[in-house]
Amino acid sequence: MEMRSRTAASPEIREFAKRLVIYEAAGDSPPGTDLPAEVRVAEKLRQPLSRLAGVSGFRALLVRALTLAKAQAPGLVSVKVNPDGSLEGLGESGNRAQDSETGVILIAELLGLLAAFVGGAFTFRLVLDVWPGFPVLDKEPWRKNDHDGPG
Amino acid sequence: MTDQDKVKIKNLPTGVPGLDEILGGGLPEFSFNVIAGAPGCGKTTMAHQFVFANATPEHPALYFTVLGEPALKMLRYQQQYTFFELSRLNTSVRFINLSQTLVDRGLEGILEEIGKAVEAVNPGIVVVDSFRTVMRQTDRNEMEMQVFVQQLGLLLTSCQATTFLIGEYAESEQPGNPVFTVADGLFWLYQVVEQNSIVRKLHIMKLRGQASVSGMHTFRITDTGMQAFSRTLGLAGRRRKLAAEKRLSIGIPALDEMLGGGIPEGDSLLIAGSSGTGKSLLATHFIAAGLRQGEPGIVAVFEERPEEYAARAESFGLDLNTPIEDGNLKVIYIRPLDLSVDEAMQEILDAIKKTGATRLVIDSLAGFEMALSPGFRSDFRESLYRMIFGLTGIGITVLSTLEMEESFTELLFSKFSISFLTDDIIRLRYVEIEGQLRKIMMVLKMRGGAHSKDIREYEITSKGVVVGERMQGYDHLITGIPTRAGRSGQSTYKRVRIKRGWMRR
Repeated sequence: MEMRSRTAASPEIREFAKRLVIYEAAGDSPPGTDLPAEVRVAEKLRQPLSRLAGVSGFRALLVRALTLAKAQAPGLVSVKVNPDGSLEGLGESGNRAQDSETGVILIAELLGLLAAFVGGAFTFRLVLDVWPGFPVLDKEPWRKNDHDGPG
Repeated sequence: MTDQDKVKIKNLPTGVPGLDEILGGGLPEFSFNVIAGAPGCGKTTMAHQFVFANATPEHPALYFTVLGEPALKMLRYQQQYTFFELSRLNTSVRFINLSQTLVDRGLEGILEEIGKAVEAVNPGIVVVDSFRTVMRQTDRNEMEMQVFVQQLGLLLTSCQATTFLIGEYAESEQPGNPVFTVADGLFWLYQVVEQNSIVRKLHIMKLRGQASVSGMHTFRITDTGMQAFSRTLGLAGRRRKLAAEKRLSIGIPALDEMLGGGIPEGDSLLIAGSSGTGKSLLATHFIAAGLRQGEPGIVAVFEERPEEYAARAESFGLDLNTPIEDGNLKVIYIRPLDLSVDEAMQEILDAIKKTGATRLVIDSLAGFEMALSPGFRSDFRESLYRMIFGLTGIGITVLSTLEMEESFTELLFSKFSISFLTDDIIRLRYVEIEGQLRKIMMVLKMRGGAHSKDIREYEITSKGVVVGERMQGYDHLITGIPTRAGRSGQSTYKRVRIKRGWMRR
């Protein structure tokens, strides 16, 4: 029997997360910082999600996403979730391409988990609230199935 | 001060069908309310319905969650309801979690964060769910709690928000609780499991500024959310004055004659008899007669499905399918086992509103009782009284049927002892005459006046009920075992036993 690693993110969600990181990378970094795009995406998601689910609620979600992501991307092994829900060690391996890829995996897992709990439509709305200019495609993964469960 | 000088309190729709009626027109704007009850009884659902019914982008709803049900899970389940519009999240409806604030900074932190959020977005509605956990998480004394609740109330009222505090309170916590003292509205939700059925009830314990309907009201939660059923069925105070004493034909001239000219409009008539005596058929005659006169009708059936009911009527030459298709007749099949009378009534009332019906048949009361959740059966008589009183009050003429156990020694009225709530009673029964089981009918009671004292034989034919002449030449007809008139008072049964030497004269 084939064993499959657990993931909350479908390939479509993974693609969506990738586009989100690229979109963020195209924008300006906050003044005085030079944070990688995947770190900025995670940080931007932290604020509204902590507001919605509480710091501990968001942290629990992120810890789970990190666990799922680590199974697919061993490069995330040194990444930790702080008590306030911020990430430590993400994008700090020194290998930019690998950091970007593992960052996308983590963000995809986070969005996938959120979609599994509150539905794709709501997750999509949350993303659009943070990135109002994010280009919406006709076939977004959220529109296909409103209740994307863990894959 | 004249009425014109007094402040007008605007009522907001609750979004819960039936609840505005119970509250006396809606929820007072800017009121400070508590929704209390045990876990799982519908508190959050009720608040969400109010939120989605009233929140706008200009005056959004702020929904604070505190250490209760995790916010994500709450959203996961609440969005299953049809009233929950995802597109309004973060614009009209905003969720904010204050769990960490409470843990880190206590009551002051909560007050500060709510104050900040309120100032920032100018909400029309503020919900704190669960407020009970806020109060439990502190070791403050009663005075400090009172001050906190008062400050919160002041803050939210002065910013022109209608507020809900949601909490899992026990009824024993009511006396002296500062939250309940400060609250303008106190809604208590109950959920009781009785013999495998869930009974949900709502009690408006307090509502400042307007008269709500007192007592316990049933409510149900379905995929559309919460629906409440007023115990007055929305009919309180709605008395329709009938222009003049009008008699409605029951559809059988001879029986109309026995009734003194027909059934007085707005009366409640009971037809009681044992199985096979033709109660349902008489009820069908009544409905069909109304339809012929252009009076729409409703038939509530509990023991058979509408199509079966219509087919049976057709076999007696009474066409119900055409008026059903035309919208003049609605046959409601009330699903069994877990209803409250109020829910069944709401279904009937909705049908009455839709069709403009003036005649209603309930076939039968025994079936109605069986359709109820066991928890409501004990209140059946009282509920039935409210229902019939309410309906006849607005001019609906109600005909109910009731199956009776046949006794051959006495004439029973009804096992429910409900004759007090019916204006008129027709009794059908079997009698044994010369080796045949024949049927007789009699009018026992007409509250509206004189009626025939005759006991008349009737038959059920292919044309329906055919009423014959007064049964003469027999005594003791109502016992079911009559004797020839003029003979001794001994019954046939007794005479036979004496003749055979089984008993003494």
